[in-house]
Amino acid sequence: MSSLPPLPKLARVAHAGHCNRCLSALPSSHAHIDASRLAIGFYCLGTLDLLGLIDEKTKEEERQSWREWLWQQQTRGVYGTGFKPSSYMTAESPNDTMQDEYSKFDTPHLIMTYTAILTLAILRDDFTQLDRKGIIRFLGSCQREDGSFTSFPEGGEADLRQVYCAFAISSMLGDWSGIKVDRAVAYIQRCFSHEGGYGQQPTGEALGGTTYCALASLYLAPSATVTENANSYITSSERHRLIRWLVQNQAPAGGFSGRTNKLADACYCFWCGASLQILGVGDTVDKASLASFLARCQFKFGGISKDPDDRPDPYHTYLSLAALCLFPLEDADVSWRLPRLDPLWNASEPTANWIREHVSVSPCD
Amino acid sequence: MPRIIGDGGEGPLLFSERPDWADVTPIPQHEGYNPIAPIFYAPEYKDATDYFRGIVKTNEKSQRVLELTETVIRMNPAHYSAWQYRYHTLLAINASLDTELKLMDILAIQFLKTYQVWHHRRLILTALHSSSPPLSDPSASPSEPPPLDTTPKDFKAAQIELAFISRVLMTDAKNYHTWSYRQWLLAFFDDARLWEGEMSFVERLLEEDVRNNSAWHHRFFVVFGREQLPGDESRESVLKRELAYTKDQIALAPNNPSAWNYLRGILERTKTPFSNLRTFVEPYTKTRSSEEPKEDVLDLENPAPSSTAELPCVAALEFLADIYEDESENKENAIEIWKTLANERDTMRKKYWEYRIKELLENA
Repeated sequence: MSSLPPLPKLARVAHAGHCNRCLSALPSSHAHIDASRLAIGFYCLGTLDLLGLIDEKTKEEERQSWREWLWQQQTRGVYGTGFKPSSYMTAESPNDTMQDEYSKFDTPHLIMTYTAILTLAILRDDFTQLDRKGIIRFLGSCQREDGSFTSFPEGGEADLRQVYCAFAISSMLGDWSGIKVDRAVAYIQRCFSHEGGYGQQPTGEALGGTTYCALASLYLAPSATVTENANSYITSSERHRLIRWLVQNQAPAGGFSGRTNKLADACYCFWCGASLQILGVGDTVDKASLASFLARCQFKFGGISKDPDDRPDPYHTYLSLAALCLFPLEDADVSWRLPRLDPLWNASEPTANWIREHVSVSPCD
Repeated sequence: MPRIIGDGGEGPLLFSERPDWADVTPIPQHEGYNPIAPIFYAPEYKDATDYFRGIVKTNEKSQRVLELTETVIRMNPAHYSAWQYRYHTLLAINASLDTELKLMDILAIQFLKTYQVWHHRRLILTALHSSSPPLSDPSASPSEPPPLDTTPKDFKAAQIELAFISRVLMTDAKNYHTWSYRQWLLAFFDDARLWEGEMSFVERLLEEDVRNNSAWHHRFFVVFGREQLPGDESRESVLKRELAYTKDQIALAPNNPSAWNYLRGILERTKTPFSNLRTFVEPYTKTRSSEEPKEDVLDLENPAPSSTAELPCVAALEFLADIYEDESENKENAIEIWKTLANERDTMRKKYWEYRIKELLENA
């Protein structure tokens, strides 16, 4: 471990610049993210949030217009209320009224609803426009018999990502009445694989991202009995195997891989690292090697890429910084100083607090 | 931004330039003031999506909608509304789903990493082989099981599908979507004859790359994934076969976590004590020494590490420590191994091995 090269600076301003550029415009070659632009917005603004540069790098009038645009994506209809991935299916209407009910092919999207709430919290919205009851109903419309959730009512893929979003939203709203928690928990448990991680679906290979989704969901879920530590949804044998598999994924390069025998990828530093934090054993991570790997993933013109030889994008930039929030180095340069992160919601502490104060149906008093 | 027509004849006409689309009113996208991450749409994309919004508005389901949605999908394979509308159109006009599947053969390879490509394929397969095609989507594990005896037509179709997936795995042997789809397909048709061929398929892939974790995972799925479990006796023979195979693969490449994870997986699944493997594991935990006496007896059940293997093997040390941990007289030995791992053999996980020591001492 002593052979690590000295850590360069974390190029904070350059990373903020990368995300600011993506926020303002993307080239035509990015058409494939047209139906997930809210997620891109979350990664970009989330990056600025973690770097503490929201106020410095964006203007209040910009933040106001983004909040307005985000609220335009909130849409109501027969399945309840949620957020659309972007305006990609929104028809231009002559009088510019947006209050029409959504059509069958322009419904809200479960994952995008989660990212919209996070993004609005980052932008410190007051959430007076949030249709809480409608969202609760929408979650129920997405749940299937087997406990899993589809991305949108009556369609789309169903795997652990959607379960996580439904759980995160329910916990943010402080209202679990929209979903059948027991069935969803049983679905999560069926995804546990022979290796000790959770697959994307019940028959899937253990994968870092979906292991995070499973664990965060189980720790967000309201327990029947409130026990202090041991989470009743995970057996001690499963916990043992989970920790083993997760630490095994820290690859020789210092970063984490998402699956056994794959190469390290910056995003799994968060998915696996946060999973270990959730299990209360974040100390098992080799923090210095992790930071050294992420330092090498920094692109010279800003942004962080999945590995040192790739091009950066907002997704890997945000998740790398989120990982660094969870594993701070005591003796590193001041540029590496980042806020604490709520590992279950994947939000900075101040943003998570904002959600607690403004999103919850019955705010804690 | 009008395109100059006839400036070299490149590309097909825009929908707005085509007389056969003149009856459709295109609907521009409402972007709003200062949107987040706006995309500078290419004129072709803007044109096709304007017409797509127009079609959705009038609820047209026709042959030409298939052309339009294909155009949109080729430019944005993650446009799930276009996929969704395409599926509804296929059913509404009673289009040939076999033809659709042929098109999907091409698109799957072109857009291998897109969720929607594989999701659409599941819908088509389900529609082709169920009495009533689902209007929404089929579960990962189908809620409506197909008849116990697959019809010859379904069996043939499933074989063709499996062959197609095998071809796709040639281009990317670890693609998550492709493997998920294969597992879904096997569960969907639930025909023992289809499952039988999977073992030789997995072994072929592992011969090519013994570190292909997806192939190891698939092996576990094939061995233990079927509801229809064999009787106790054959269950024993299954364990014996799997242990023999895994040991051979470990002997071939001892520092392969996929094989060790598989070994642990089958032991845990069958509730077999780790200590049963002690004789096999021990040689992998020793440092190689030149004075080592040659083995007189070749133990076929416990293949020795290959002569070029890097020893001791971290996974074997870990395995042996796990055996020791459960034996009251050997707890000190477990701690010794973890110390070696922490300080010499696996320093990346130093804190983890120290955590194991702490856990053991606390639970003592």
